[in-house]
Amino acid sequence: MKQLIRVIIIVVVAAGVLALRLWRRGRRGRPARPAGTARGAALGRLTGYTGLVAAREIRQRIRGRMFRIGTLVILAVVAAVIVIPALNSGKAQTYRVGVVGALSAPLRAAVVAASRSIGTTVRLVPEAGLAAARADLRSGRVSLVILDARAVEVSKPVSATDTSTSGQLVRAVSTTLGVDEAVESARLSAAQAARLASARPLPVTSLQRGSASTSGRNTTTVGLVLVFVMLTQYNAWTLIGVMEEKSSRVVEVLLAAVRPVELLGGKVLGIGLVAFAQAGLVVAFALVLAKAVGSDLLHGTAPVALASTLAWLVLGYAFYCWVYAAAGSMAERQDQVQSLALPLSLPLIFGYVISLTVASSGNPSTFFDVLAYLPLTAPFAMPALVSLGAVTWWEFAASAAISVVCTVGVARLATGIYRRAILRTGRRVRIRELVSGLAR
Amino acid sequence: MGFLGPNGAGKTTTMRAVFGLTDLDAGTVRWNGALVGPAERRRFGYMPEERGLYPGMLVGEQLVYLGRLHGMSATDAAAAARAWMERLGLADTERAKVESLSHGNQQRVQLAAALVHNPELLILDEPLTGLDPAGIDAIAGVLAGQARSGCCVLFSSHQLDLVEDLCDSVTIIDHGRLVVTGKVDDLATSGPRRLVVRVDGDRDAAWARQLTGVSVSEVDRGAVRLVLDEPADSESVLKAAMAAGRVTEFVVERRRLSEVFREAVA
Repeated sequence: MKQLIRVIIIVVVAAGVLALRLWRRGRRGRPARPAGTARGAALGRLTGYTGLVAAREIRQRIRGRMFRIGTLVILAVVAAVIVIPALNSGKAQTYRVGVVGALSAPLRAAVVAASRSIGTTVRLVPEAGLAAARADLRSGRVSLVILDARAVEVSKPVSATDTSTSGQLVRAVSTTLGVDEAVESARLSAAQAARLASARPLPVTSLQRGSASTSGRNTTTVGLVLVFVMLTQYNAWTLIGVMEEKSSRVVEVLLAAVRPVELLGGKVLGIGLVAFAQAGLVVAFALVLAKAVGSDLLHGTAPVALASTLAWLVLGYAFYCWVYAAAGSMAERQDQVQSLALPLSLPLIFGYVISLTVASSGNPSTFFDVLAYLPLTAPFAMPALVSLGAVTWWEFAASAAISVVCTVGVARLATGIYRRAILRTGRRVRIRELVSGLAR
Repeated sequence: MGFLGPNGAGKTTTMRAVFGLTDLDAGTVRWNGALVGPAERRRFGYMPEERGLYPGMLVGEQLVYLGRLHGMSATDAAAAARAWMERLGLADTERAKVESLSHGNQQRVQLAAALVHNPELLILDEPLTGLDPAGIDAIAGVLAGQARSGCCVLFSSHQLDLVEDLCDSVTIIDHGRLVVTGKVDDLATSGPRRLVVRVDGDRDAAWARQLTGVSVSEVDRGAVRLVLDEPADSESVLKAAMAAGRVTEFVVERRRLSEVFREAVA
């Protein structure tokens, strides 16, 4: 675990140094003029102008009021997700059980043990009579009432499949009392009764490796929500940012000076860096807060799940940003953007929903395994599999490699579409025209 | 240099082609004899027909950014942006968003954006449309100043009188083909001779209609503008005019640019 954290720190520092160098080169200005060898100079110019475009993007985004408010909202939501369960785990797990009539000491101990076995605690409250007990039930002061050790009463019916803690508690208490009644009616000796009472469940072994703890699952869910919200937001930035450059016609002035690939590359790089700064801030905030309130969000496999979630946020953004940038270059009005945004967001929503389902059920299907290797759905499916402990490191690496290769292909295709579409104005550019244009 | 042509002749397309914004079907774009690539384009300035700037970005930052995209250092770009804002009367708009400016001021910012990196070649698509007379004078003054300081300025316009006053030379295209190019002075003195004659009391210049070898190009409140064919001579015209009444005006005139234009694209 320590090793993993060390690796994450190294990656983050390396990314920071890279970003800083890019930024400083952008500030230092005048990227080497045509002097020098052709290829070297061309490369220098490429990063130079791309860096300039990225730097502008970062400045404009961070300055925007929407960005600041949006960051605060995300931080508030994360804080709520971490703090509220932590507060609840401290107090709300003690159930009050009303007792009418007598309840023997061994039976009291049995009821307490039963509650502990389902992960909760009870406090037994003596009731003056049936009427008082029912009044307490109605007002919610007690969760259930034991009548003379021979009956259990609750306020609302509990179904046999109810998995809530209170439902489990009712079933456990009624089973305990039922066993006690059976022991009594079987007229067992004291020794026999004691042995029955001390019965322990047998250990259960499984053929497959154990799945994640509930805390790991919670982390996965939080991670999936984070990836979905952030990918959706940053993709929308790219889409609308490209569209605005087209609709304000500023792109014509820009493309008179820089090449389309520099403009597009700078844009997605700038938005990407802002995105990861924001994601990093949110994660750091979450870690500090979780530590401070003693949340169980980061126990067990959670750090690995978190690291893989962050890795797939990067890979997912890298893949999707090109798709959205190409789409943005085809539109120049809000309504055109919306008609493009919906079909584009479908794979995102699909991957998100199915991964959430699998993360909570803990049973990935073969179909889901396949999704974890498709770049469109992998940003959700792969972290879900990681947190379930259902993949090996090389499967993870293979999926990442597939995603990187596809990203390169998509980036090329998107740049081609962008170059053709961004300067065409008047109406939305049809995909068919672009494809026939690319084929030429 | 004035770049003229009727609507749809291909002026904007030509200008965009210089900046690589249109794919060429055939031919090449050359500057000082060499093919134009990205490095050369960074030394050109462009003001497109459809004005375009980031609406929500501050004027000063926008100019610095565009200067840097043309290869200037941060300090050079800042100094140049400030100098141009000063010269174009935009000094107090440095911290304003472009979208908050008047149309005329947006046009000035757009011009500053084309000029900020001190280009060798300045190409402007209809820089004078939609401006009030003061704005036209200001921008025309800047263009003339740039041309004097050695920058090649090429702009398109339909205001032929302005082009005539402002430009050394003009190029006229029609249907994508070059039809006339040359110095404004040469074009004005070439071609058939022109006479402006005013005869008292003859507002319609009926006397001029019967002349042979002479055609009437326009009549403006009694002053008739005549185009003389090669064999016709001005003396016979004067005689005919004096026969028609008292001659109050008799001027030999240069060919106007508007006439060159009309003849070229007829």
